[in-house]
Amino acid sequence: MISVRNRAHPAVRAVLVGAYILCVEWARALIATQPRMAIASLVLSLILGGVALGLVAVGWPADRLGLGTSRIGLRIIGGFALGAVLLLPAAARSGAVPILPAGLAAAAVAISLGEELAFRGALYAALDELGGAPLAIVGSTVLWTAAHALSHPPEFLGAVAAAGLLLALWRWACRDLVAPVIGHVIADLAL
Amino acid sequence: MRRPALLAAAVVTYVVAAWMVAPGFYDGFGPQQPYNWTCPPPQAGANLKPSSGHADIKVIGGVSDAGSAFTNDGQIVVGFLPGALDATGKTTISVDITPLPTCPQPPGIRFVTNVYHVVASAPLVKRASVVLVYSNLEPAPTAIYQAADPAGPWRSIGAARDAMPFTITTTSASLGYFAAGYPQTTAASGVLRIGGGSQVLPIVVAILIAVVLLAGLPLAMLRRRRAHGEGEAEEDEAKATSKS
Repeated sequence: MISVRNRAHPAVRAVLVGAYILCVEWARALIATQPRMAIASLVLSLILGGVALGLVAVGWPADRLGLGTSRIGLRIIGGFALGAVLLLPAAARSGAVPILPAGLAAAAVAISLGEELAFRGALYAALDELGGAPLAIVGSTVLWTAAHALSHPPEFLGAVAAAGLLLALWRWACRDLVAPVIGHVIADLAL
Repeated sequence: MRRPALLAAAVVTYVVAAWMVAPGFYDGFGPQQPYNWTCPPPQAGANLKPSSGHADIKVIGGVSDAGSAFTNDGQIVVGFLPGALDATGKTTISVDITPLPTCPQPPGIRFVTNVYHVVASAPLVKRASVVLVYSNLEPAPTAIYQAADPAGPWRSIGAARDAMPFTITTTSASLGYFAAGYPQTTAASGVLRIGGGSQVLPIVVAILIAVVLLAGLPLAMLRRRRAHGEGEAEEDEAKATSKS
């Protein structure tokens, strides 16, 4: 009975964190797909979406989120490496990559920061607490893919899932969220 | 060893998955739907023909109302301010947009969108806004081009800076034929171009790789050497303790 009660709280927390993140991501996607939306409104909705995602990490200790400052040089370099990997297929194909206007660039930074704090930060920590690293990696990747289902055509979801898996595996292997944040920001600014 | 191997496997999985869908992973700023081509590029895959569009602009009190004409697939939108069209003697003004069935490539310009013909039943007297969607399968255009005849001459009518991703927008003082593209220099299409073509991605990736190699490897070696040194010191300490 005691063990059930002890496990109930992490389970409830993980479900609540996951549901909140999904709601914010889907709401953001639905707002962004409104036809003929003014660019200022889009930027505002994206920034608010990023902030709303980041709020889910409030209250978690920095080390549980993978946000420590130890080995900071390697974490930053790791972020550059992740950014290079995320951009490599697009760079090799040499298709259109529009340079984002300043407003959308700020929104891209807010969204990528918010998503990392939410998915690989709070959700990963909640699932890790519940079922260990395998559940945290698989669970955060599945929710990450589901969260992008409304904003991306179905054929892109494989690449989205693979990116989520890569970032979650980095979070687990290096116990680090700084590199996924940097890599994600670079990828979002460039694509 | 297990962790680096899993990470390497994840990298390979991502690169393969992203290679199959250009531009790979993006966070909502990519094109929402595939471009409908008149002349699809080889990498386009299944293609729908581009659609045409029609709009009737009301005339209220002898002045043409604000309105916009767009194709059903949304690949071109032409917007009119109140009084943009000469409404003399008219109650409505019709605007028609049709994609050109051919794909002209005038000398010195590389078009990356379809060519659209925009006609109105009244002359344009105020500038109209033109928004063209472009595909992620071709290099980004730097300007919208306009001509009175598809055979040319084509002239650049520029591009605004704050367009949405994968759209290019400008204003035009006359209607006619519109397409988005970039000036063709000696470099072939799809080849790295710096600046106007915004093909900076390969450079960004190259810089990131260079930074990782130049800074990451020495950092990692330094850490390993330091860890090795600490290990040896601990071993010496242990030996000294056992001797005493």
